[in-house]
Amino acid sequence: MRGEALIRRARLASGLVLMAFVTCHLANLSLGLRSLAEMEAWRMLLTAPWTRGAGLWLLGAAGTIHLSLGLYAVAARRSLALSTTDVMQLALGLAIPPLAIAHVVATATANAVSPGFASNYGQILAVYWSFAPFYAFLQLFVVVFVWMHAAIGLYSWLVLKPVWRRIGGLVIPVLFAVPVLALLGFAQAGQEVLDKLASDPAWKQMILDNVGRIAKVTRELADFQRAAIWTYLAAVAAAFAILGARILRHRRRPLAVAYDGGARAGGRHGLSILEFSRLNDVPHAHVCSGRGRCGTCRVRVESGADRLSAPGDLERDTLARVHAGAGERLACQARVLDEGVAVTRLLPAFADASAARAPQEWPGGQAAAAAESRT
Amino acid sequence: MSDQGMSGWSLELLGAAKQRLEALGLDLARAPEEARRAAEAAHATLMSGAGVRSATYLLLILFIGIAVEWLYWTYAYSPLRAAQSAPALTPLHALRLGLRLLLLRGSGLLLFTAAALGASAAFTWPPHVHPLVVFATLFLLVLRAAWMGVGILIAPGRPHRRLVPVAPRAARWLAAALLAAIFLLACGSFLPAMVESGGVAAHHIASALRLAAYTAAAALLVALSLALFGRPGSRGAAGAARAPLFPRSFPLAMLVVFVYAVWLLSPRAAPVAAILAVVVGLQIGLHDMVYFYWHSEDETAGKPADREALPAIALSLARFVVALAGIGAAALALDTPVSALAESSSPWVGVGLRLLGVAVLALLAHGVWIAVRSVVDQRLSRIAPADPHQPPDASSRLLTLLPLLRVTTAVVLLVLLVLSSLWALGIEITPLLAGAGVVGLALGFGAQALVRDVIAGVFYLAEDAFRVGEYVEGAGNTKGTVERITLRSVALRHHNGPLHFVPYGALGSVRNTSRDWVIDKFNLPLPIEVESEKIRKMIKKIGEQLKEDTALGQHLMEPLKGKLYRVDPGVKVFRCKFRCPPGKQFDLRAAALKRIEAALKEMGLGYAAGVNTVIVKG
Repeated sequence: MRGEALIRRARLASGLVLMAFVTCHLANLSLGLRSLAEMEAWRMLLTAPWTRGAGLWLLGAAGTIHLSLGLYAVAARRSLALSTTDVMQLALGLAIPPLAIAHVVATATANAVSPGFASNYGQILAVYWSFAPFYAFLQLFVVVFVWMHAAIGLYSWLVLKPVWRRIGGLVIPVLFAVPVLALLGFAQAGQEVLDKLASDPAWKQMILDNVGRIAKVTRELADFQRAAIWTYLAAVAAAFAILGARILRHRRRPLAVAYDGGARAGGRHGLSILEFSRLNDVPHAHVCSGRGRCGTCRVRVESGADRLSAPGDLERDTLARVHAGAGERLACQARVLDEGVAVTRLLPAFADASAARAPQEWPGGQAAAAAESRT
Repeated sequence: MSDQGMSGWSLELLGAAKQRLEALGLDLARAPEEARRAAEAAHATLMSGAGVRSATYLLLILFIGIAVEWLYWTYAYSPLRAAQSAPALTPLHALRLGLRLLLLRGSGLLLFTAAALGASAAFTWPPHVHPLVVFATLFLLVLRAAWMGVGILIAPGRPHRRLVPVAPRAARWLAAALLAAIFLLACGSFLPAMVESGGVAAHHIASALRLAAYTAAAALLVALSLALFGRPGSRGAAGAARAPLFPRSFPLAMLVVFVYAVWLLSPRAAPVAAILAVVVGLQIGLHDMVYFYWHSEDETAGKPADREALPAIALSLARFVVALAGIGAAALALDTPVSALAESSSPWVGVGLRLLGVAVLALLAHGVWIAVRSVVDQRLSRIAPADPHQPPDASSRLLTLLPLLRVTTAVVLLVLLVLSSLWALGIEITPLLAGAGVVGLALGFGAQALVRDVIAGVFYLAEDAFRVGEYVEGAGNTKGTVERITLRSVALRHHNGPLHFVPYGALGSVRNTSRDWVIDKFNLPLPIEVESEKIRKMIKKIGEQLKEDTALGQHLMEPLKGKLYRVDPGVKVFRCKFRCPPGKQFDLRAAALKRIEAALKEMGLGYAAGVNTVIVKG
């Protein structure tokens, strides 16, 4: 199970790299609120490092890793019992590549066709605002989608850490401000570019020439884009097909789990206890939605401990962190393999992130801490 | 004259309807062409700097709205989970939880809307775009509110959380159909407005869109009411045991058709018709909806909910609130200030307003009546019927007064309602009252006795002179147990059987022998030779034994005592007395006498013989 933890860490790290890039890019855009020239001046510092050499490699690798690990996570799921946040996160994440590919390809090609053209904010903005507004729409959606996807990911990772108490007040305003300022900068700079187009015929002519040059390769570009999007869609479909096949395969092995208070939940072989709860609307705390990070879903196994999958490293680490007592498992990690499992939920369903940051302050945690101090 | 006015008005209405239908047909015919042109114009606008700017701002306000709501949820998610996961023990508890959910989720929704709309005001939008954005935000608000409301009310998949009586199997269908209908209605009202707010002429498209959306919504609602409320078996749990009183499906479907027809003929009247239909529909279902909350509790307690006071009051209150809300909404929809309405000279408006007033009065009177009646009935059913052998307690006074209060309330309410309805209808009641005054004068002389009886009765009751179950003696040798009390007279059951109906006026001074305590005295004639002190002690001892030994003796309030009272020739008369609650004296006296006789026998004594021995000294 060491591999599982490694994969999570790699996805998180690649996501953080991507987020750093997007933050730089958006910060650069937001300078458009001051002026186009300012934007251009800061470009060398904020955006340019990501477009060449090591920066480009890092970015490309992070993008590839994040995308493929995301699809892997979909394929590795056992059910579609997702929280609202997860559904949003997944949908946004899946929508990003097809929307972003036009921008990536166009910027790269433009650089190849007429060096120096694409790396100039004024010219790119002129194309977006005047000659090909369709790409501008795509771009706008990408900005909002990427940022929301990233913000959800960052928040749900950081909020479980004790450090959140100190940095939370700082992170949330930044999460809000960055895209708002970027979009405002985009609008402001766009207006400036439109004015310049109207007042500076030479500049306009120069852009028209460049656009003409790019238009010649549009066809190949479109073909490439289409191929890329189809490949991507095929990958997504494959991931979902694996998930669907797994659901169908285990459909014939229905199992049930008994809870404290007389509740029962039906499900399939191989689902985690938390998935049983979610599929049957049994109240069950889960702050991290089954990523094994928060420990709020932990249960005491009353019977049938041998009919659950063995705990992995991730689960053991988290259980140790929240001072879990003997016989306790993470409901999101313990998968049900056979009939006869009975569990007691240790935390109330409304437990929030503070239960992960400070487990000793919550009822289940207190009991565990007391048990620990006794031994 | 009025006949002609009526027919003329009908003709006018039909003519207007015909024109309206023709216009609709024209709209339908012209819409596609207009739509093509409008789409071209919209595309041209979108694919320009203005379009990009609009999209940027739109995404900005969306992001701001989502961000603000998300921030709210980082605080409110835990309470939401708590409200969602708490088990609903009773329907009333489910209602409380539902209201909490509504508050939590509604706040999020309102924050989103307020943030998005507020942010939208900060931007300089290209022409014609801002109204479009506002409409779109409101559209989103309506859809999300409908999603939330239907989810909380019908709670598909969570039968314990359901707030309306819907069969579990029907819940999903009902929820889905309601959402679809609300979506269509929202489309019908927002999309045309959005289309028309754009710069291009789009009247025909708007009209065609409205027609399509409203027609689909009406069809859906008709199908829904026929399918879900039709079969007796599919009624909610609350109605399962009751006999069907009133068909539901058909009137509901007719209401939908009625609103649709009104809209088709005269769109301006449609909102009022819709409000009317909703009010009528709610009134039809309100009984089940209100009793739903008391039903399952009473199922376990095993008593019928219909006798309870609370649901009856709640039902009447709910009817009242629904009607008032409907009137308020109609006034809002008509967009006519109430003051202007009152000054309107149209006879229809006047009659309508007055009928409205009467309806409000009737509802009020009904509410008060239901409240009084249910409270009285409930108290009465809790008090056991009066036991003549028990001393009357506080409940007997209630037993006396409550039925009287019920009748009096009914009469007073009815009179008030009739008088105020006449007044509300604009009929002068002053001459009526004055006329009644003249007749009343005549009647008054005749009914002097009646008035005297009633007034006297009020004072008797106010002073608590007697209650049902008490033994009273009035003037003129009327005595007996009080059986019934009316406004005018009291019915006394004589201990031999006859029932006296005594008007209060003739009751005179009342001797109530059933209050607090009585003192019973009786004589013991004993032979002259007995030792007085010995007898006194014997009687005292018997008194103590009586108090301690027997169940009857507990009632003694003062113990039995006896002393020499009189000395007659050959006879010593001892007088005994005791104090006890009213009605107990007879049994107690019998018991005492029995014991005294036994004691006398033991002492070798007997009562004084009734023979005077005359000794003649010869």
